[in-house]
Amino acid sequence: MSKRTIQLEVLRYRPEQDKEPVFQTYTVPCEEEWVVLDALNYVKDEIDRTLSFRWSCHMFVCGSCGYKIDGEPKLGCKAFLRDYGDHIRVEPLDNFPIERDLVVVLDDFMEKLQSVKPYLIPKEEKPVSAGEYLQTPAQLKAFKQYSMCINCMLCYSVCPQYALAPEFIGPAALALAHRYNMDSRDVGRKAREDMVAAHEGVWECSFVGACSQVCPKDVDPAGAIQQAKFTSAIDYVTSLVGIGGK
Amino acid sequence: MDARKPYVRKVSKTSWFMTHARYKTYMLHEVSSIFVALYMVLLIWGLFALADGPQAWGNWMSFIESPLVILLSLIAFGFFVIHTMSWFKAVPQAMRIQKGEHFIPGNLIIGGHYAVLGGFSLFVLILAGVA
Repeated sequence: MSKRTIQLEVLRYRPEQDKEPVFQTYTVPCEEEWVVLDALNYVKDEIDRTLSFRWSCHMFVCGSCGYKIDGEPKLGCKAFLRDYGDHIRVEPLDNFPIERDLVVVLDDFMEKLQSVKPYLIPKEEKPVSAGEYLQTPAQLKAFKQYSMCINCMLCYSVCPQYALAPEFIGPAALALAHRYNMDSRDVGRKAREDMVAAHEGVWECSFVGACSQVCPKDVDPAGAIQQAKFTSAIDYVTSLVGIGGK
Repeated sequence: MDARKPYVRKVSKTSWFMTHARYKTYMLHEVSSIFVALYMVLLIWGLFALADGPQAWGNWMSFIESPLVILLSLIAFGFFVIHTMSWFKAVPQAMRIQKGEHFIPGNLIIGGHYAVLGGFSLFVLILAGVA
């Protein structure tokens, strides 16, 4: 296997010493099959142990290693070095405050995620002994795509609406709300409506569509939001003519 | 002591779209709808002219037949086509039609929209005596 050397330019921010983020370049000898996360781990293990970044599973399941790589948000574990030149620039995700180096502050996203009640709200709670809430493969198909979200937040980092109006609930949380609203076992649409159908909910979205372009799991949050807009509009009209209240 | 000091990167409210090609494309697409809106104004003006009688209608007709207005109309038509295509392309995202365990392919939904558009356009052209 041929060795290759790359220049890894990483945006550093050490709150105890940096007034603002600065780039630092590391020379990394790497293997052909490496991803950007491997290169970062090499730096951490062999060159500079002060470098901070999040990662966990190394197999694009956990959603921890989202960074901006050469200007595009990617999962560090899914960005193969062979697809990049010999100089790679890694930055923390846009639209989030930087906690340290490549680590961003998640608090806002976590609050928004919780606000849309992203869990099953069944018509009536059953004891575990009563068995599963059943559904057909077709009913599963209706929402399965939206359940693939791994909360990596790449979508938030490219959403200009979130950048300009931080109160926007944002792509991933709205897609997850949609996921539960589309679930045949769930009756929580009304409970989520306050957040989803609000101005800072789906109606803040101007359908730039960048979220769906960068989603590593093909969730298509932009599509979910447009569908939720349609439902919200129908709800509004039916409430106007007095046949709503479902 | 709280050692946290998160760094917030500023986003320019007036030039954010210059930071990436996809935002530039989006903004150009949005701005081009001004031409579409102006053409709507032209058509509405024509309706009022029609209601005002032969004199006003004649004035409007000679206005829209001037080379400059024809040129602007052609530009507006170009943007109409672009907006129609991008709108139709987005439809399968906003309108998923499930049949059993499968979704109707997006291309079929898009094709259906073009068929309806073609049908209506033909109808209007026949009404206008062109086709």
